[in-house]
Amino acid sequence: MSVRVRDSQTVLHIRWIPKYTTLERFLHWMHTIAFVPLALTGLILFMPWLRSLAQSEAGVTIRIIHRVAAVLFGGVPILYAILQPRRMIMHVREFLSFSRFDLLWLKAAVPYYVFGRHADMPPQPRFNTGERLNAVVLVLGTVVFGITGLAMWFGRGVIPPVVFQVMVLAHDIAFIITVSMFMVHFYLAVIHPLMWQSLISMRYGVVSESYAREHHGMWYYGEKRAKEMWQQRHHEETQ
Amino acid sequence: MADRLAMYIDTSKCMACRGCQVACKQWHDLPGSQTVNTGSYENPPALAPNTWTRIRFREYDDGERFQWLFLKEGCMHCAEAVCVDVCPTAALKHTPEGLVTFERELCNGCGYCGQFCPFGVPQLEVTNRLTGEAKSSKCVFCQDRTTNGLKPACVKTCPANALDWGDRDELLAKARSRVDLLKTEWGFPQANLYGELELGGLGRLYVLTAPPAAYGLPTAPKYPVVATLWQKLLQPGGQIVFGATIAGALAAFFLARRNIEMKEVE
Repeated sequence: MSVRVRDSQTVLHIRWIPKYTTLERFLHWMHTIAFVPLALTGLILFMPWLRSLAQSEAGVTIRIIHRVAAVLFGGVPILYAILQPRRMIMHVREFLSFSRFDLLWLKAAVPYYVFGRHADMPPQPRFNTGERLNAVVLVLGTVVFGITGLAMWFGRGVIPPVVFQVMVLAHDIAFIITVSMFMVHFYLAVIHPLMWQSLISMRYGVVSESYAREHHGMWYYGEKRAKEMWQQRHHEETQ
Repeated sequence: MADRLAMYIDTSKCMACRGCQVACKQWHDLPGSQTVNTGSYENPPALAPNTWTRIRFREYDDGERFQWLFLKEGCMHCAEAVCVDVCPTAALKHTPEGLVTFERELCNGCGYCGQFCPFGVPQLEVTNRLTGEAKSSKCVFCQDRTTNGLKPACVKTCPANALDWGDRDELLAKARSRVDLLKTEWGFPQANLYGELELGGLGRLYVLTAPPAAYGLPTAPKYPVVATLWQKLLQPGGQIVFGATIAGALAAFFLARRNIEMKEVE
């Protein structure tokens, strides 16, 4: 794709590499549409100053919204598993593969994301350490929300009260963790100046060649080549 | 704080006429329900959204004598009321007189009160399981009567004089002397007082002629540990985590904006 830079003769040539399927992008935004109202209606029970929204008819309404959104939230992974099971398995495998490069990434992340020092960033596969951690926590959170939510919805009076109490507690713990993760995800994906391609990739399903090369070397060059390049660069630096 | 009010319940005088059940339904406009004979005079079988008090029947044989125990069930109006703490709508409140009151209009039907109550008292009337529409309900010590100088309806109606209402300290003294009397004069060596210290002191003071467990009362009711963890640790902790995350992201954003040259970003 060629883009002419406004008010100049410069023409940028960008090669785009596909990253997400149409279904994945659609489900990502479905997930967002479900998660945000779930979090906001949950937050009402968390913040004493929002109490009036939990009372009476308002409270009944937010509980209905919470339930409708919960069904949507639970439906997204189920739809994904039905429609693109191979892609889903591939993703789960990728999410669960961690290596020593992830420790290096964690060390280099703050200097990079806060101070813009890219030199120490180790090569990463299609999803970097942070993205994979985010995904693992979200999957675990979905499981906890699913079990505890359904237990509170349909189990009241059936399960022993003490089990119900533990369900409330676990739901709250999952809430605190996933909402904090969401805030970080939102910041990095939407606000952070270096990550301007993330919204593009979730809209059009592609990232630019240069972005893939710099941020996901193991994906762009292949794992072996990327590691060789990293070692070479490291070797030169230490000499 | 005004002097705490309480209900005195002398199970040794109760004859299970269940007049209190009727008076309660009448005063609060609670409909009766169709029940079936299960071979006991105990009826209805449990507390329900339309049954805020009821007499529980228990048979008790300690080896020496047989007793038919009658326990007037209902909200205990605990000083440390977990339902008040877990209620997200403040429909459940403490009054200065120690009543645990309930505002039906505020209730959103979450049902936490009934699930956390150590006595399982609040009853949830679920009108739609799918949407969760429901209303909780429980004994409110006839707040409308007792704040206007009247006794609760059940106390007023009790023909056996088993019930009394008034200043908690006075009723405590009355209960203690009654327990002594039952032990010494009436041949109930196991007579005891229930409710003096449990959960910070209950709003119901029971004179029992057998151990609490024989009545189906928890021997040592406890404020649920989960509720403490949830209310005292997790909720404030969560607020701190959310605040810190937002503050961290803001700080990172301003630092990043200062440090990152956008020209280098392709």
